[in-house]
Amino acid sequence: MKLTDHLKDKIYLFIIEAVALTVAVIFLAAFKVRWEVFTALAVVFLLACVTAELYDLSRKKKFYDFLYNALDGLDKKYLLTEMLPEADFLEGELLKDVLLSCSKSMAENVAFYRIRNKEFREYIEMWVHEAKLPVATLELICRNNPDIKDRISGQLKKLDEYIENVLYYARSENADKDYIIKETPLNRAFANAAVKNREALLANGAELETQGLDITVLTDGKWLEFIFGQLISNSLKYKAEDRPLKISVTAEPHEDSVVLLFKDNGSGIPAEDLPYVFEKSFTGANGHRHPGSTGMGLYIVKSLCNRLGHSLTVRSEQGAFTEFIFTFSKNNHLKMS
Amino acid sequence: MNKILIIEDEKELRAELSILLANAGYAPVAVTDFTDVASQMREAEADLVLMDINLPNANGEALLQEYRKVSEAPVIMLTSRTTELDELISMSYGADDYITKPYNPTILLLRISAVLKRTRKTGQERLYRDVHVSSLKGTLSRNGSEQMLTKNEMLIFQFLLDHPGEIVSRDDLMTALWDSNEFINDNALSVNISRLRNKLQDLGLPDAIETRKKQGYILK
Repeated sequence: MKLTDHLKDKIYLFIIEAVALTVAVIFLAAFKVRWEVFTALAVVFLLACVTAELYDLSRKKKFYDFLYNALDGLDKKYLLTEMLPEADFLEGELLKDVLLSCSKSMAENVAFYRIRNKEFREYIEMWVHEAKLPVATLELICRNNPDIKDRISGQLKKLDEYIENVLYYARSENADKDYIIKETPLNRAFANAAVKNREALLANGAELETQGLDITVLTDGKWLEFIFGQLISNSLKYKAEDRPLKISVTAEPHEDSVVLLFKDNGSGIPAEDLPYVFEKSFTGANGHRHPGSTGMGLYIVKSLCNRLGHSLTVRSEQGAFTEFIFTFSKNNHLKMS
Repeated sequence: MNKILIIEDEKELRAELSILLANAGYAPVAVTDFTDVASQMREAEADLVLMDINLPNANGEALLQEYRKVSEAPVIMLTSRTTELDELISMSYGADDYITKPYNPTILLLRISAVLKRTRKTGQERLYRDVHVSSLKGTLSRNGSEQMLTKNEMLIFQFLLDHPGEIVSRDDLMTALWDSNEFINDNALSVNISRLRNKLQDLGLPDAIETRKKQGYILK
């Protein structure tokens, strides 16, 4: 709180005081009171005014300075009400009252949406499980009736992938801990994802090359499988036109981490788009060329990695390659089973 | 013939599952009345149980726990719940495998035969006609002569051996290979099969693998 701001705020009082003093001086002059008397009275009056002002200023300054300091220091500004200082003046008390009421009402509002959000997420989870049943049945029907298989199974795979996307989007947005970190073999997770995309990979003449995947990392196997699936499906979507797709997946064990490199020889990502590929709904130049780019796949992948505590970065050269680099830490405290 | 008990409340899924298993040479039996599944499980004397986790009037995990008190027969859980936690719970209650819906039918059959093999503790040494098959050493031997097989050739041969007298499609072979982290393409599969044929020929079995046009292969 600045002194000048405070004085400006109080200007009406000073004007009234000055007018009152002037009127008093005129009266006193009219009654021919001796000038020493009204000088003394004026000095006493002015001293009283200044003292009152200084006192008022000091207690308000203390309160508001504390408030602003607290506000600057807070990452989540709405927590301010948790640390309101004592106010020994009326306005301060009123402000505290108002802030507390607002904050209480906001907390109730947030809780309402949190519950709604949770219910919605639970519904999505349930819906996904229900939706998977007919997909499973159709997969079996295809298998038992080879004559319709070729026409249907590709579409069925897509449908399944979309359903999975919804599930993992809901999971990535959720704050509850619904994953389990344990020693997970990399080759199992990758093979599961590869088998799911086998028809599409082979139809595109893709070549898969893996190296060093016969180790375990600390992660959630189901989530990792989904992540691999997303990356494979991206590699297929953005493959280079002039050469067959090649995907190489390499794991390198280090002292306190395992680094996994997922690299394809696809069309790559333009340098100006690269910093944004993990952002929600970002499609970039590649997305504009491909219908069906939602900008959600990599966003979900990144959110899942964040939640699991894996770091994920991307390197790319347009027209040459895209490489995703995962780092799984080896933290013995997290070890289970 | 292995008897497989199917416990799945979705009628269509159950019917298709039965057809799949019957086509693959198993004897499927399905539970259709879900009032007392536990006693039906006890009385079925199945070689393997395929069980859904979400059942009317019952929870698959609880049924599994009950079943484990009376039987050692392998149980594979089928579920659309796809979290590691669900899997951990099932496995800790004594399930032998856990497969999420929608499953790739070939993978499902692979897991069933793997679980059956594991519980019988065969698998290391098997016999094809008078050929000793050692998956551990990766060799086929007959009358004192021996042939080394590559990992891929052994996977193909074992898959054929698991389906004697049946047509095995290239698609199934491919899925089996990919599931074992061998991501080969169509050409490589043909090369592997012709090499396997040559090796069998060297053992004096030139006609062991027969090609069926547009359908697949049969191990005779």
